[in-house]
Amino acid sequence: MRKTITIILLITAVFVPFIAFNVLPVIGDPSSAPNTHVSDHYIEHAIDECNSPNMVTAVIVDYRAFDTMFETTVMFLAGLSVIMILANRPKKKIFAPSSLKRFRESGHPIYKTVNKDVMISIIEPVILIYAIYVLFHGEVSLGGGFQAGALIGMTYLLDVMVVKREKPIFNLPKKRAAAIAGIGPFIYALTGFISIIGGGLYLEYNKFPFPIHQAELHSIGITAVEIGVTIGVAGTIITILNALMERISFDDDIN
Amino acid sequence: MMTLINTFLADKGIYMLTLLLLSLGVAGVIVCNNYMKKLICMNVMQVAVIFFFLCLGQKSPGTIPVAMDTVVKASDYINPLPHGLMLTAIVVSLGTTGVGLSLLLRIREKYGTIEEDDMLRREELMTRVEKNGGKRD
Repeated sequence: MRKTITIILLITAVFVPFIAFNVLPVIGDPSSAPNTHVSDHYIEHAIDECNSPNMVTAVIVDYRAFDTMFETTVMFLAGLSVIMILANRPKKKIFAPSSLKRFRESGHPIYKTVNKDVMISIIEPVILIYAIYVLFHGEVSLGGGFQAGALIGMTYLLDVMVVKREKPIFNLPKKRAAAIAGIGPFIYALTGFISIIGGGLYLEYNKFPFPIHQAELHSIGITAVEIGVTIGVAGTIITILNALMERISFDDDIN
Repeated sequence: MMTLINTFLADKGIYMLTLLLLSLGVAGVIVCNNYMKKLICMNVMQVAVIFFFLCLGQKSPGTIPVAMDTVVKASDYINPLPHGLMLTAIVVSLGTTGVGLSLLLRIREKYGTIEEDDMLRREELMTRVEKNGGKRD
């Protein structure tokens, strides 16, 4: 039954769009509908309106700042809902099936050339420096808050998954990590209220009550918002990771 | 004829590929019995949608949307709007994957399996035991 439904669906999915291909624009056509109307305004006015050479950052945190704010809130809510779903006390940890037990040495691979603990402690600071670089270059060149948050979360993930420690360096159980993730949307929302204090609209960066040049105010606003996004995303990744990791265990765990 | 096919593939071919990816994801969600595989197929679907939006933002002589002093025309930069939208979509897909994984953990704790057939069998057994007053017949 499911197979036939799938086959019908696949056939329609492959053949019906031949009718609709006339509607879709040619790839790389500069005068197609998605590439003309509002996109040209973003490209031409990103520098003088937002002081942000990176147009993607200008679009997501200046022109569409509300969108990104609630997007960060959605990330925070995803972390919260993971905590709520996994809020009951587990009866016992889920272990790997017993058929895997005979490969007991598979959890302790012998590295003849590179020691992974040493290697990871060299790599992690480099990733963190790169994350900070990506964060603060969000508005001048390639980078942004989401990517920096993902990199920081990735560093935590590498440290938890690769290195075996009796006690973790940063003890972030899921509730504490969710509190950190909540700081991110809070910073974002607070940035909006600062511009209200200066007499502007919500998230109108050039009305900040600081005595500096207009263009600099936009840079400050974008950077503050990006820091909020970074903290939110990194905290959410750590929340999801820790909420899942405290329920499962692997063959080569210490306890 | 050959040139016709070639121009069609160069102009609209990438839409076919993204559509193939999307339908593969839908087919996987329908066919797979394992819930983990269903989650993976859902991610494949999301990637197909992201590809589709990024295709719409392409311009053929365009460069990355970071303003340079030497390039001033708007038609020389690719469209930043789909990139911005898809950036947030990628992050939200991470959130949905996390919620899905936590649901899978709960299912695994309740039923001892994430295969749909085994789950249905187990559920049937549990209702029968309940009807018999806690006894297996």
